[in-house]
Amino acid sequence: MNADPLADTGRPRGYDLEIRQLKTRAVAMGEWALGMVHDGWRAFSAGDLSAAQAVLDRGAELDRLDEDIEHAAIAFLVLRQPTAGDLRTAAGLLKITTHLDRVGRLGFDMARITTAGPPAGPVELRELLERMDSVVESMVHQCLEALGHDRADLARELFRRDDEVDQLHREANRIILRELRAKTSDTPRVADTLLVARHFERIADNACKVGEKTVYALTGQRRSEYLPRHRYIPYALETPTTAPGTTEHPPPG
Amino acid sequence: MLGGDKIRTEHLTAYYGPKPAISDVTLGFAEHAVSAIIGPSGCGKSTLIRCLNRMHETVPRTRVEGQVVLDGEDIYQLDPVRVRRRVGMVFQKPNPFVTMSIYNNVSAALRFNGRPSREETDRQVVRSLQQAALWDEVKDRIDAPAVSLSGGQQQRLCIARALAAEPEVLLMDEPCSALDPIATAKIEELIKKLKEEYTVIIVTHNMQQAARVADNTAFMYIGKLIEFGPTEDLFERPKESLTEAYITGRFG
Repeated sequence: MNADPLADTGRPRGYDLEIRQLKTRAVAMGEWALGMVHDGWRAFSAGDLSAAQAVLDRGAELDRLDEDIEHAAIAFLVLRQPTAGDLRTAAGLLKITTHLDRVGRLGFDMARITTAGPPAGPVELRELLERMDSVVESMVHQCLEALGHDRADLARELFRRDDEVDQLHREANRIILRELRAKTSDTPRVADTLLVARHFERIADNACKVGEKTVYALTGQRRSEYLPRHRYIPYALETPTTAPGTTEHPPPG
Repeated sequence: MLGGDKIRTEHLTAYYGPKPAISDVTLGFAEHAVSAIIGPSGCGKSTLIRCLNRMHETVPRTRVEGQVVLDGEDIYQLDPVRVRRRVGMVFQKPNPFVTMSIYNNVSAALRFNGRPSREETDRQVVRSLQQAALWDEVKDRIDAPAVSLSGGQQQRLCIARALAAEPEVLLMDEPCSALDPIATAKIEELIKKLKEEYTVIIVTHNMQQAARVADNTAFMYIGKLIEFGPTEDLFERPKESLTEAYITGRFG
């Protein structure tokens, strides 16, 4: 018997390699999804239909990556019968890839509603949406970094950043509703920005869910154990001091 | 835990000669539950369960410190034969009485409880074989030699023999290690059913088996109890890094 079993790496070499490969493939899928968000937003904001088409054409590869990782994770579960951290990683990756698929789909949806022509809405709205894009892309980067490099600390930070996105989302909605009421802009295109703002908010939520599953895989901790759930009230009843964005523990969806 | 502890150890240390095989083990086994003990070879799992019915002391130059408490009584203050009737045991390799028939293998155990009538013996033999999920397979050849049964059937016969003595606790030391997957599945189903009437404690090398059948699992390493808790927690998120290292195959 080994004197220091914790120092022993006596597992079959293939075992650790398979887990590492599963994570690497999930990160690659996440980068693919992130590219779809990046380019989907660029196509929408520039009214570039050919760029939008290029994003839509990447949907099939996203499906393939999702199915391949699911297949590999299930094979790992069946053939290796993992336990503890290995089990949490394989089971967590099944959910993580679902959230990454949704991230890519939301980029796809931005490309789908792209119409030709100059950007809709006032400059302040476009700047706000640019800001949302910047934050959510950075959040997706961060969740992939956490997953790929076993960084639970990075994953936990995502919840705080989601708060900022929620605040930006509400601000964007306020401007868009103002524009729609004033009817000073191209109404259908401004209405589309409501969807885009919503897509950004959902992408941030999915990045948080990836972070949540990464923390679980690495530490076994459920979110409720390190981040008590915020009590929500209707927006209409919120005062400035209780609005999302001002709380210590912001609400992911 | 599913209920109170039926049997528990208090600071139990068991020696072979001067060397302790298990050290200071304090552990409670819930009533009407299956508890598994896992750990690498030589960690003391079998020694631990052999202390639970005073089998350990049948080996020369052994001794025990601490207590084993069964329903509030220290079994080391009781008659060992009576203890072994209350705490039955099934071993790794099926060990039927080879010269006896299927019927006689089971009825032999009834003699622990006196000499029941022929009708009572018949009734008890049938009941034990039914509880061991063997009756349907042997009812037409009850007087056939026990050795004519397959390995899996012989192990269930040994379980029937143990149950015939009407124990309260059933200890099983690697009961499936000599069996094929189909026979193993039958025994595992049986173990889950037996907990309705008995308290079952199983030693196994097969972690998937522990995960399948046990409500609670203990992990032992070099004679010490490292971790004990609900099976699902132990296999999904163990508290101790040694447990994690063992169940994920990093040593052992």
